[in-house]
Amino acid sequence: MKKSLSLVLVLAMLLSMISVTALADDGWVELRVEAYDRTIAGFNVEDCWQLHYAQEHFGNPNKIKLVYVSIPRWTEGEVLTTQLAGGTAPDLCMTYNGDLINQYIEFDGLYQLDALLEEYGPNLKAFLGEDLLKFGQQDRDEDGEKEQWFLSARRLSVANVGNFIRADWLKALDMEKPTDIASFEAYLRAAKEANLGGQRTIPMHFDLYESNPLYNIVRFADAFIDFSQVTEEDWYAYSGLHEMLPGSKEAYRWFNKLYHEGLLYENFDINDDTATDSALLNGYFGFFSMQPDQPWRTDKNYQKEMEAAVPGAEWVSVNCFYNESLGKHLHDQYAANGLSIIIPKNGGATTEEKAIAAVKYMDWLAQPENMFMMQNGLEGINYLEVTADGIPTKVQSADAVPDANKMHAGDICFISNGLYYGSDEKNAAAIALSFDEKYQAAIVESYVHAGTDAWTQVSFSVPIQAETDYGAMIKSKQGEFLSKVVTCDPAEFDAIYDACIQDTLNVGAAELIEAQREAYLDGEFRGTFPGNL
Amino acid sequence: MVKDLRPNKGKFSADLLAILRDWQLYLMMLLPLAFYVLFCYKPMVGVLIGFQKFNPVGGMWKSNWIGLENFRFVMKMPDFPVALGNTLLLNFMGLIAGFPIPIILAILLNEIKSSKVKRTSQTLLYLPHFLSWVIIGGMVLQIFAPTTGVVNATLLKWGWIDENIPFLTEGWPWRITYTLVGVWQSMGWGTILYLSAITGINMELFEAARIDGANKLQQIWHVTLPGIRSTIVVLLILNVGQMMNISFDRPYIMGNTRVQAYCDVLSTFVYRAGITNAQFARATAIGLFQSVVGLIMVSSANFVTKRLGEDGIW
Repeated sequence: MKKSLSLVLVLAMLLSMISVTALADDGWVELRVEAYDRTIAGFNVEDCWQLHYAQEHFGNPNKIKLVYVSIPRWTEGEVLTTQLAGGTAPDLCMTYNGDLINQYIEFDGLYQLDALLEEYGPNLKAFLGEDLLKFGQQDRDEDGEKEQWFLSARRLSVANVGNFIRADWLKALDMEKPTDIASFEAYLRAAKEANLGGQRTIPMHFDLYESNPLYNIVRFADAFIDFSQVTEEDWYAYSGLHEMLPGSKEAYRWFNKLYHEGLLYENFDINDDTATDSALLNGYFGFFSMQPDQPWRTDKNYQKEMEAAVPGAEWVSVNCFYNESLGKHLHDQYAANGLSIIIPKNGGATTEEKAIAAVKYMDWLAQPENMFMMQNGLEGINYLEVTADGIPTKVQSADAVPDANKMHAGDICFISNGLYYGSDEKNAAAIALSFDEKYQAAIVESYVHAGTDAWTQVSFSVPIQAETDYGAMIKSKQGEFLSKVVTCDPAEFDAIYDACIQDTLNVGAAELIEAQREAYLDGEFRGTFPGNL
Repeated sequence: MVKDLRPNKGKFSADLLAILRDWQLYLMMLLPLAFYVLFCYKPMVGVLIGFQKFNPVGGMWKSNWIGLENFRFVMKMPDFPVALGNTLLLNFMGLIAGFPIPIILAILLNEIKSSKVKRTSQTLLYLPHFLSWVIIGGMVLQIFAPTTGVVNATLLKWGWIDENIPFLTEGWPWRITYTLVGVWQSMGWGTILYLSAITGINMELFEAARIDGANKLQQIWHVTLPGIRSTIVVLLILNVGQMMNISFDRPYIMGNTRVQAYCDVLSTFVYRAGITNAQFARATAIGLFQSVVGLIMVSSANFVTKRLGEDGIW
């Protein structure tokens, strides 16, 4: 008895090791599409309304079985890196990690898209447009002509910077909205003295992304750059290294001063998102900086939640980072390209047939009526009314929509970054309309600020090898730099600042500067030099 | 149905017979064996990419060989010696603080007479082992963060301190926090082997010691400790062999940019130098380097132990 039982057990275990693959060959193709997962409560990206809609209207008629593969939004680059190496990535992938894509072009790991687009993607090509397609072109075979290796999503709103201040605090202090650094500092100090957020008042906070620690900081620090000493060439050569440009040192000295006066969030660099979030929602902060629409988003409404905790509390956009050398309130903005879309070969797992299906799927998404459904969902559920222009209004917040109808416009309809209604004017008008009516004026103001004296972020049209080799090392040193120069004893500031800059140069920033300078001199650059604004 | 297994049939056929007799057991063993072959031995071939300009698309057999270039590139990076030093120091501190505690704890647990109390304390001590470092990291922040952490907030409120204790924000205090949290997490789990070793000690020895007039402490010193000496030695050798290895999650989660120079270890360095930019060959090169040094260390520890008259692990 025992013997036969153990035999059964062994066989069962052996059987479970052999993966049973369903044999279905009736002309159907399975297309696995990457889908970012932001862990929105109740929203399952692998089984969502958008998937079922696309399956019914695109998949079934074309004999394509759509599968959405969930990948965490905030670690997408790392996850995709591993999956591509293992040949297990989805058939249609997207990423913000341009460096990764450059490498896979070099590895010959991607489908070339020229012929596929020509034959199966006329709507897609029209939607993206010639200029945007150029972002994804590189001359891999060095025949003097560039081939299409990836597609860039179309970014409808290039606004990036949202700086917010407490309207109720300004009122309590009887102060005007700050317009430059000095008046902003006065606001922070007055707020602290009056303890407007209670004992835990934190006048200034900014978000720190571990993967790129200075990304948000330059919004404030760039106000200190002395552009009389910065050439266009320097601007491109020092892209991503603004702390090394003339004048920047004073920015960090200013942060150091704020920190020691208790005006800056003390634990700004000790990552604890939950503590930060709760401080934000409980109204302890007098300033924070994120995306232009951040306080009022339907998936997480900071304004609404703060109001609930602190009656009368209100975020408004502020435009106070004035650069004296230029006489401008600088704001960085995105280039027209959104995330990058690729069809990897996956070591043969993604067949030519699937590559065709992938382009067909994107072509289907690019058609206005399909995009409208995939971005907006159903009237009466996801939104309640439509304007005369055909723009949905009274958009329901995520928690007001049943789980089965929850959706994420940008992540699933990934070829468009932003809601698309057919023309630039309509798209711009729609931005505010997709929010709660109460907040629309504040949102419009925030977008106006974000577009003031805006310079487009720098990128290069050739792969920068030094970025691949040293990028992560440099970013890590920048994080250390920020912590050290902000928290150090003011008397030691100069010495520590110089030492940290030297450290950053030593781990590869020197090579990066040279490579970027070379790319600039070769004319392989995109973006704006603020001195030319 | 006992088969004839007399040894005169030759060594080979005796082995074969033994297998035939207990074939079910051998069949059962196939699975763990397959596991080791598939997941521990087969991937070893992959270390070869450490010597290549690796192209994951073409695979190992289509990539170019570049000798020791990856090793040179990585070891020339200024962060490499820092990460190496931190790895050794943190592991050494972990060994000094963390090694004796499970032994002491096991002896204490063994002396508890009430089995209910004993079982409850054991379970409570094991629990932290099952917590993920992500959870522990969150707890550490709640407890030790400046100003808002429970410890600092309380002490500041009571006026016992004027300034925050920099548990997480300065080099040495961070190292000590890191080590002690590690000890807390693993000490209960570490007692398991010692407890079973203590159970294996012949009770008559304790009885004899008692008759000779030995008190509790003397019994522990002269009977319990010598009784588990071989277990202690084996675990010590294995621990020394792990000196070059450090987990990724614990330093990554407990670290922050303020103590970057103290919390950057080989695993986090490899993550930056290799994984984030798909530089798998470079990551492999460091991994191979770690393994070779680990092998040398464990061999030396074993050699020294044998010289000292202990059993060693092979």
